[in-house]
Amino acid sequence: MREIMKMVVVLSLISGLSGAVLAWLKDATKNRIEEQVLTYVQGPALEQVFPPHDNNPITDRKRFEVPGAPGESVTIFPALKDGKLAGYAMETYGQGYGGDIGVIVGFDAGKDALTGIGVTTMKETPGLGTNVAKHGFTTQFAGHPLEKLELKSKGGSIDAVSGASYSSTGAITAVQKAVALRDKLKDEIGKTWQ
Amino acid sequence: MTEYFLLIISAIFVNNILLAQYLGNCPFLGCSRNIGTAAGMGAAVVFVVVMASGFTWAIQRYVLVPFSLDYLQTIVFILVIAALVQFVEMFLKKAAPPLYKSLGIFLPLITTNCAVLGIAIICQRKDYGIVKTLVFSFASALGFMLALLLMAAIRERFELSRLPQSMKGAPAGLVMAGLMSLAFFAFKGMIS
Amino acid sequence: MSTLWKEFSKGLWNELPPFRLVLGLCPTLAVTKTANNGLGMGLAVIFVLTLSNMLISMVRKIIPAKVRIACFIVIAASLVVAVELLMQAYAYPLYQQLGIFVPLIVVNCIILGRAEAFASRNPVLPSIADGLGMGVGYTASLTFLGALRELFGYGTVFGAPVMWGSFKPFSFMIEAPGAFVCLGVLLAGMNFFSAWQARRKGGPDAVPAVSDCGSCGMCDMARKRG
Repeated sequence: MREIMKMVVVLSLISGLSGAVLAWLKDATKNRIEEQVLTYVQGPALEQVFPPHDNNPITDRKRFEVPGAPGESVTIFPALKDGKLAGYAMETYGQGYGGDIGVIVGFDAGKDALTGIGVTTMKETPGLGTNVAKHGFTTQFAGHPLEKLELKSKGGSIDAVSGASYSSTGAITAVQKAVALRDKLKDEIGKTWQ
Repeated sequence: MTEYFLLIISAIFVNNILLAQYLGNCPFLGCSRNIGTAAGMGAAVVFVVVMASGFTWAIQRYVLVPFSLDYLQTIVFILVIAALVQFVEMFLKKAAPPLYKSLGIFLPLITTNCAVLGIAIICQRKDYGIVKTLVFSFASALGFMLALLLMAAIRERFELSRLPQSMKGAPAGLVMAGLMSLAFFAFKGMIS
Repeated sequence: MSTLWKEFSKGLWNELPPFRLVLGLCPTLAVTKTANNGLGMGLAVIFVLTLSNMLISMVRKIIPAKVRIACFIVIAASLVVAVELLMQAYAYPLYQQLGIFVPLIVVNCIILGRAEAFASRNPVLPSIADGLGMGVGYTASLTFLGALRELFGYGTVFGAPVMWGSFKPFSFMIEAPGAFVCLGVLLAGMNFFSAWQARRKGGPDAVPAVSDCGSCGMCDMARKRG
């Protein structure tokens, strides 16, 4: 009996101690990990969509509450040039064929147009759906006005990736979501970064 | 249906857990002396891998993620696998003595077989649902068993052949594994 | 001091982990595409191995024998999670490169093998020396194998081009088959070298390292238990 007690005590002591240390470490590294993930996962796509800028959009990022939808928030990455807002981007998701497709959508600060899109995460079929991340598809969005962001088959002006209509729709859904969010947050963003 | 078929073929042949993903080498070299041992080890691995993947999937989904403890994944998974192996061992001893006799001695070895923890983690990283997790882990474990059996068959032959003294044992086993891996490499072109 | 040095240095040659005590092969094969990855993995193992040896040696007297394996696993796994967090925070590209082999350090036979064979029976300082020595030996082996494969597979070492201009990379080396063959040939070379050394000293032929479950510390434990 004593032996069993000792086993239980020692085991739970060790587990408890390591749990406490790890929880502390997790907390201590949380911000840095978030930044690293943003730099290496979202970073390349961000650079792809932004106009020329001289700040680090990742360290300057800011979370915004979505008006009219309590509890929902979105992170905006600003691109500043000489201290003035040149453009901004956000990450949104759309349902593709294999799961959510993450898309960074960049907006021009001056006029109502996109600066470009970049795909961050996806689980689409290699060789077909993954083409939504490729040049031919994403370049259609650079400089595109905010209207008619829809596949040509649905009356818009975007060519789908051939053989991957689900994935194309997923990417476009994400873009549309970003446009809707931008409409709600436009003024607030303009106030935050002049 | 095609999706599952592709998943199975790719897990067994194209991304063979042993020959393409390098998981589970210790038993691969250690337990491939003869076909009987290899078959026992392989069967035990299939059994444990499927159970472990199912359990860890449920724990990740219903315990770790809701309490945002997913950074403890490694600890929790390895403990679950260790406990599961113990439990399976006790259960088999009581419920199915013949099965225990043939698989029992391999069970304790499996806790540290990195293929078990590896497959469980791969399923999480790929975000598979429960059905896909079970199918994928079963197929991967079958791939492991296949590689183990093939290796044992080859090794039974070359135990009798004249090898340079310094090539005997692990070095020859590794070179053989390399050649097998080269053969399996040919499947890569099959599914792009 | 001299005993500490003895514990440290045995991991560097006589009991060099992946080559002499055929231990921890999976990461040895998987992460040695480049010298850099090999080095990174090695450093992670040094961290886990040294600290786990130290902690286990510190608590060795209060751990009941029956649950010692469970305790070792908890300690090793906690350290691995710590490495995962630190790596994500300070070396994210490396973390992406090593993939699932970072969490798999916990089932690396070296960690539990040293815990059982050494740290649970020796005082703290020798245990640290043992862990450090084994870790450094492991790192050196991984880096060496990585450099070799990178040299032939990409024509570079640590990312710096070293081969002549018309060199055609030998991509076999960076794929799975190359890893197996390369390690096999290296092991054979080590065996040959020790046999030659033994013969020169006039002693009996050195027995080549036999890979069996017996060489893996954990499997050995399991067998004793079973």
